[in-house]
Amino acid sequence: MVTAVFLVVILFPFFWILITSFKPSNEIFGSGAFQLLSQAPTLNNYSSIFNGKNILSSIKNSLMISLITTLYVIVVSTLAAYAISRFHFRFKNFLLGLILVISMFPQMIIVGPIFNLFTLLHWTNSYFIVLPYSTITIPMAVWIMVAHFGHIPLSIEESAKIDGADPFLILWKIVFPLAAPGVFTTAIVTFIAAWNEYLLTATLNTEIPMQTVPVAISFLRTQFSILWGEVSAATVVVTIPTIIIVLLFQKRIVSGLVSGAVKE
Amino acid sequence: MIKKLTFRQFLFLVPLLIIIAVFSIWPILTSFTYSFFDYQLNNIQKSQLSFSGTFSKKQFEENSEYVKLFLSDDANAAAGNAKAEQAFQEALADAENYCETFSGFPSGKISASQSKEFTNSTEALRLKVKQLYLNFPNEKYANQESLPMIFEELNKAISPSNFTGLSGYRMIFGDQRLFDALGHTVYFTLISVAIEFLLGLGLALIMNKAVRGIGLIRAGALIPWAIPTAVSALMWSYLYDGSNGIIAHIFAELGLISSSETMLLTGPGAMWAAILTDVWKTTPYMALLLLAGLQVIDKGLYESSAIDGANRIQTFFKITLPLLKPSILVAVLFRTLDAFRVYDLIAVLTGGGPGGATETLSVYAYKTMFSQMNFGYGSVIVMFMFVCVLIIATLFIKVLGANVMTSD
Repeated sequence: MVTAVFLVVILFPFFWILITSFKPSNEIFGSGAFQLLSQAPTLNNYSSIFNGKNILSSIKNSLMISLITTLYVIVVSTLAAYAISRFHFRFKNFLLGLILVISMFPQMIIVGPIFNLFTLLHWTNSYFIVLPYSTITIPMAVWIMVAHFGHIPLSIEESAKIDGADPFLILWKIVFPLAAPGVFTTAIVTFIAAWNEYLLTATLNTEIPMQTVPVAISFLRTQFSILWGEVSAATVVVTIPTIIIVLLFQKRIVSGLVSGAVKE
Repeated sequence: MIKKLTFRQFLFLVPLLIIIAVFSIWPILTSFTYSFFDYQLNNIQKSQLSFSGTFSKKQFEENSEYVKLFLSDDANAAAGNAKAEQAFQEALADAENYCETFSGFPSGKISASQSKEFTNSTEALRLKVKQLYLNFPNEKYANQESLPMIFEELNKAISPSNFTGLSGYRMIFGDQRLFDALGHTVYFTLISVAIEFLLGLGLALIMNKAVRGIGLIRAGALIPWAIPTAVSALMWSYLYDGSNGIIAHIFAELGLISSSETMLLTGPGAMWAAILTDVWKTTPYMALLLLAGLQVIDKGLYESSAIDGANRIQTFFKITLPLLKPSILVAVLFRTLDAFRVYDLIAVLTGGGPGGATETLSVYAYKTMFSQMNFGYGSVIVMFMFVCVLIIATLFIKVLGANVMTSD
């Protein structure tokens, strides 16, 4: 019973957006606005966003940017988390504290200098935007990876070390495969964080061909009118992949989100 | 056995250190530097950080060319009058001299005496030209009006130092808009986190008991979290819309609001619209974090308390809540920080409106930096936020004892 109420509350907005996306505009505005089912369902909203509203190019940009971010963040954070969880060094607690502070500070703090840097280097409106995405993704990724490495017993690596393998080989051949579930979790959480980013893209990638999905959709709201039909259709289009990812990987996502938040 | 880090293994850390240094640490320090300058990108005299004055050769050359050009134009116009013609030729010669003297100045930093020399010479030439037009009035002059403007532009070739020290921080105290924004941010944060925590805890307790449907609930809970905030904000702005929005319509029918227009067009309505959207988006996330905390509580404790005859309420307050405290603190801390720096949601849903009633600190800082192009004061606001965040984090970690460092 409670489950049902919960799901209705959570899903109702999506449901309403879904039915709106099939309504012709005279049913979205005016007296028909609150009708559950459309009198004359139409696909016009979908055809108009696919013809010329740049939704497709923004989906491509979002995919590329999120994938590149995920790839390099995984490499960087796996290497670092391995060193952090396996070796002693003097500034370790300082480094962990620093990563924590970075995850806490207002993102707004980096936007001004990054904007100037990107303007100077002519990096605005390009995929270089993946680099400052590190601020929002790296702390989380390192955190999850450190937690996962912590669960892998040291004895396996030690026997490999006795056999004379070097640290990089040990990481690549032995630890990495064992950490694969953790890497996968980190990848999904990083991908979603990059997919959702708004502030940096809205500032740095302002040209329409380089916009990502969140920015492109927020631009559908023009100064004079809001094309609710098209907004709904675009929302449906970009939400479906997210829902699929969530349904497929829900357990992994949850384990990623709670690692670090829960002491075991 | 954990080993000491050798140089080779230190290489594992290098990529992380470089990325953090360039894209997190450097921008923070740079923002901090900006906050001490009157730094405005759209003002040519303030568009660079400088302790001493700077000289813009480009600005000088463009405008000094015009002085010569305009003077020689009007010298032709004065051709009939011998005295006037001579006076114009003299002024033109002065202008040539002036140009020659200062075209030797390098672009960039200049000394105080150079700056003074330039200002004095420009002023002398300006007065001379002004006098010229007063002495020999003639309708045919084309540039009498434009020359004073050119001199104004010429003066801008020298930018005085825009180092202002702490005066940006002093401006905070007189900035009512900043305190309004702080008020909105605190209001938004306290109410939305409080609701999210209570609902999230209730939901987590239910999910912990639930036998069937856990996968369904989990998926349902993750979807709002996984949708980009900007997209969900736009979606909700449709649902709240005064004439066509279903949620505003339902609220009005239920009598929660006086009419469906109040939702986005009045201050309190818009604030609650933002809070509800945030609650919708993050309560499930909060519930998942708390659920994970609940699941590590030893079930044996509940059994022994049941044997001792404790009722449900006692069990909740004596066992569940104390043992869940670490999870609660961490979850609430991170949610509080997230809510405090809220930007996408407000920017897309209300844009800070109506009439600034939902403007949070992030939105104010962004508008200052990117609408007014005032990076100096924008950075002051951002630093103010940073201090607030530090206070919140310290409060949670030192006073309430949140344990955020889980590893090691």
